[in-house]
Amino acid sequence: MLKIDQYAYINRLAHVHPLEKMVLALVTMIICLVFSSPATSLIVILSMAGMVIWLARIPASFFLKLMLAPVAFLLLSVLTVAFVWVKDPAGLLWGFNVGCYTVGVTSRGLITAGALLLKSLGAVACLYFLSLTTPMVDILSVLKALRMPPLFIELMSLVYRFIFVLLDTADKIYTSQASRWGYATLKTSYSSLGQLVSNLFTKASRNYQMLYTTLTSRCYTGELNVLESSHVISRRNILLIILFEAALLLASIHLAGFLTPFAGGAGS
Amino acid sequence: MKSKPILETRGLGFSYVDGTQALVDVDLSIPAGKKIAFLGPNGAGKTTLFLHFNGLIRPDRGKVYFAGQEVRYDHASLLELRKKVGVVFQDPETQLFSASVRQEISFGPLNLGLPREAVLQRVHKAMQDTGILELQDRPTHFLSYGQKKRVAIADILAMQPEVLICDEPTAWLDVKHAVQIMDLLTEINGEGVTVIISTHDVDLAYSWADYIFIMKSGRVIGEATPECIFYNRRLLEEAELQRPWLLDLYEELQRKGWVSAGLPPKNIRDFLRSIKDKEPA
Ligand SMILES: Nc1ncnc2c1ncn2[C@@H]1O[C@H](COP(=O)(O)OP(=O)(O)OP(=O)(O)O)[C@@H](O)[C@H]1O
Ligand SMILES: [Mg+2]
Repeated sequence: MLKIDQYAYINRLAHVHPLEKMVLALVTMIICLVFSSPATSLIVILSMAGMVIWLARIPASFFLKLMLAPVAFLLLSVLTVAFVWVKDPAGLLWGFNVGCYTVGVTSRGLITAGALLLKSLGAVACLYFLSLTTPMVDILSVLKALRMPPLFIELMSLVYRFIFVLLDTADKIYTSQASRWGYATLKTSYSSLGQLVSNLFTKASRNYQMLYTTLTSRCYTGELNVLESSHVISRRNILLIILFEAALLLASIHLAGFLTPFAGGAGS
Repeated sequence: MKSKPILETRGLGFSYVDGTQALVDVDLSIPAGKKIAFLGPNGAGKTTLFLHFNGLIRPDRGKVYFAGQEVRYDHASLLELRKKVGVVFQDPETQLFSASVRQEISFGPLNLGLPREAVLQRVHKAMQDTGILELQDRPTHFLSYGQKKRVAIADILAMQPEVLICDEPTAWLDVKHAVQIMDLLTEINGEGVTVIISTHDVDLAYSWADYIFIMKSGRVIGEATPECIFYNRRLLEEAELQRPWLLDLYEELQRKGWVSAGLPPKNIRDFLRSIKDKEPA
């Protein structure tokens, strides 16, 4: 998570207007979810990967690792779709008997499962594209421009900032405990961890009090006013995004049915 | 001192809720336009005193005055005071609330109700003065401690206060950045801003400050110009402070007749200049 955040600030697309990237990611994701055809999902995954790797210049290996992270979890949920309970084992590709029933997979179930997996990965790729290329600060400023409630945005920005303060504090406490054999045995590990957590809470609350003091000293009156970053919307990018989405839409319509589980083969 | 006091306290007393007597009967008067240093061991009450200068805590006893006016604690008066007195806190981690350096620095000036153009200009100048222009697009959580400290100073500079208070500006900084920050504070002082710092570093206080206050256990136990205060050995002992090494060295050499008589040097350059050219007898 820390590394994603780091890339968000240094990637080649960091200076592109955040709204452009948000629109691109969201529209692509919607198309991917609405069409829910494996062909569309594949195109989405590949094009998002392309943008992340070629345009944003994020190492392919890192992106691949990120994409693999949810796969294990997805496979597990998708398997439940692939398997069916039937009385008559005919039509099963493979199966085993449980009492008088057979549990097995059908080709149709397998295809549905594959489609579901691809669709989920497509949506995940879109989200990764956004979080790898757009710093949180920029996302917040877009949300603000879109008139989201200020309280919500301020809360998000404070939480975002203090995740790092808290992580840092936890890291320091952990190091100091570990250097004094705090994690030498299982027993000391448990007690050290307990102390770490409770310490973290007291420190966090003390941090919060100090933060309030320091904000007050800068004339805080209940609103976190800050300068919004001044990105300019590029017409060229907007055009490219429209072209991309249109192409994706056309391709999806054209390919609808191709590789689709229920249409039974190519052609629509 | 000759110049008019900008901040004064009369019989200031304060205890924290847990009963710690952080300030006891503090009477002091800070001259305007000077470089002021507060010296004192840990827990002497320096930070607590600074919080009073900004109206962030209300004294239990006694009063604080800004430019001759008693500090009042209604909302409008406090905002007015905080506009004129800026505090850079000891730990930048608790001061920086935003992940963006530029947004962080813009917070103060925006609260002063300045127009956007003026805010942009002040933010830019503050970043330039603290040498963090190249950090402006980095998120605050990837900065080093020293860089965060400079952002914290820029935070307050952008508000252009009449009095700039820095709680331990050089703690944790490497030598190069410590020197940079102290030079910056001298420069700001040159523009007419009263600069107040707290520090444990006697050498720093000796060569930088125009006037020094020494605190211990919640009291101000001594105040004078740096030339005078470090000749008061009893006071130094009571405050558990060392003498600046430059002064010790100078005195020793003077006793041996190796340096010319006159005011003791404030820094190495003056010191080297005062060493006589001729070979010692
Ligand atoms: N929030 C608090 N609650 C209770 N006691 C406090 C609090 N903050 C400070 N104190 C106590 O008040 C006294 C003065 O503290 P203060 O922070 O003003 O000292 P200081 O001179 O700034 O020290 P240092 O050089 O360590 O920063 C200390 O005894 C300290 O323990
Ligand atoms: Mg302090």
